[in-house]
Amino acid sequence: MGLVKKIVTWARIKSPWILHFNTGACNACDIEIIAALTPRYDLERFGVQLKGTPRHADILVCSGPVTKQIEDRLVRIYEQMPEPKFVVAVGTCACSGGVFNGCYNIKGGIKSTIPVSAFIPGCPASPKAIIDGVVKLLQSLEEPKK
Amino acid sequence: MIKALFSILIFPGFLFVSVFGLFAEFFDRKIYARLQNRVGPPWFQTFADFIKLLAKEDIVPCEANPRMFGLAPIFALASVITVFLYIPLWKTETLFSFNGDIIMVLYLLTVPTLAFFIGGWYSTSLFARIGSVRCVTQLFAYEVPLFMSILAAALLANSWSLVDIVIFYTRHPLYCLFNLIGFGISLIALLGKLEKTPFDIPEAETEIVAGAFTEYSGRLLAILRLTIDIEMVVGSALLVAVFFPFGLTLAPITGFVVFMAEIMFVIALLSLLRTVVARLRIDQMINFCWKYMVPLAIFQLLLNLTLKRILM
Repeated sequence: MGLVKKIVTWARIKSPWILHFNTGACNACDIEIIAALTPRYDLERFGVQLKGTPRHADILVCSGPVTKQIEDRLVRIYEQMPEPKFVVAVGTCACSGGVFNGCYNIKGGIKSTIPVSAFIPGCPASPKAIIDGVVKLLQSLEEPKK
Repeated sequence: MIKALFSILIFPGFLFVSVFGLFAEFFDRKIYARLQNRVGPPWFQTFADFIKLLAKEDIVPCEANPRMFGLAPIFALASVITVFLYIPLWKTETLFSFNGDIIMVLYLLTVPTLAFFIGGWYSTSLFARIGSVRCVTQLFAYEVPLFMSILAAALLANSWSLVDIVIFYTRHPLYCLFNLIGFGISLIALLGKLEKTPFDIPEAETEIVAGAFTEYSGRLLAILRLTIDIEMVVGSALLVAVFFPFGLTLAPITGFVVFMAEIMFVIALLSLLRTVVARLRIDQMINFCWKYMVPLAIFQLLLNLTLKRILM
């Protein structure tokens, strides 16, 4: 069993497929996420691929505070993803709600709605910070096995 | 009995063709990346993707028909693996050869498309349904030129058995030059069959998320991706066997290596084509196939009929 588990963990770390979802961001973090996926940084080196559907994705990359309107959709998209799944909150708003915290139409950070595995602060978070955050998340998968 | 099981399960059946298919996907993605000035995925990427998908949760949507949804990928995989048993790999002989097997190979290659249609249709997602209908619409456009150009080459060889075609073209290598138009047509039609970029209308990720595969996850998605990889290998192997089957008369190992190199060459051509062109609309695709590819295929057919009259 140990060997099979090791191989599966290795495969999970080597092939993270992401789904990008804007939960109400001002678009700055989205541009940085897209910038991280361009040939400039070439994330396919690490096996990262952007997928169109939550069914194919392993990591949900969210940007922006959760607005009241998007809350149901965020939960639905999260539940459509197959296990094991991880959520990464990109940007200060996604981490805590940022300057929008306490607004009448904002529920708070991503954590207020769905469990989050990694927080990447920044306004906006730079592509290098996003890559670093995802790499740290993937490394955390490996650690308990040692 | 044991020999048959060995050839079905290990070589050149399931195991060999799966590994080769995954390697071919890596090769294709690497060339695609290098042509875009990127580094590209490492060599184990496709294997990691496959293992990861195998270990993921299988979700069957509650509105989907679970039986059809689950069976369609398995039918698709079984049919493409069966095709590989009929293609000569290391000598001018196949395991099970009969006169007319080229027709069977062509029709077995149609089965995955229909399976994608059925799987997408029964997953009852809107995106999947649009994708699966486009899948079948596209089938009617590229299938005719593909069949015509491959059968034109068979006509010149005066046989409908792959083995006889291979023997004929190995004996008369210069005759391959007459089939160049047919080779071009079937290369482009193969892009349509594999749903690659100029013709990736059924799974256009910027418009209909992932087409017929939208609702598939986990193991079933792994099978579907493996099916497309193997379809790429088998389609390229078929083109090699029909249009330039050189090297098969050499010793088994050299012949095998040469044949693999030829398959890789066709896959490289496919990746090159998919890098340099952009996606067409479905109506543009059908117009292109019926207005330009079918007349050219008919021309190839007439050319081969005339040549046959003159040369033999």
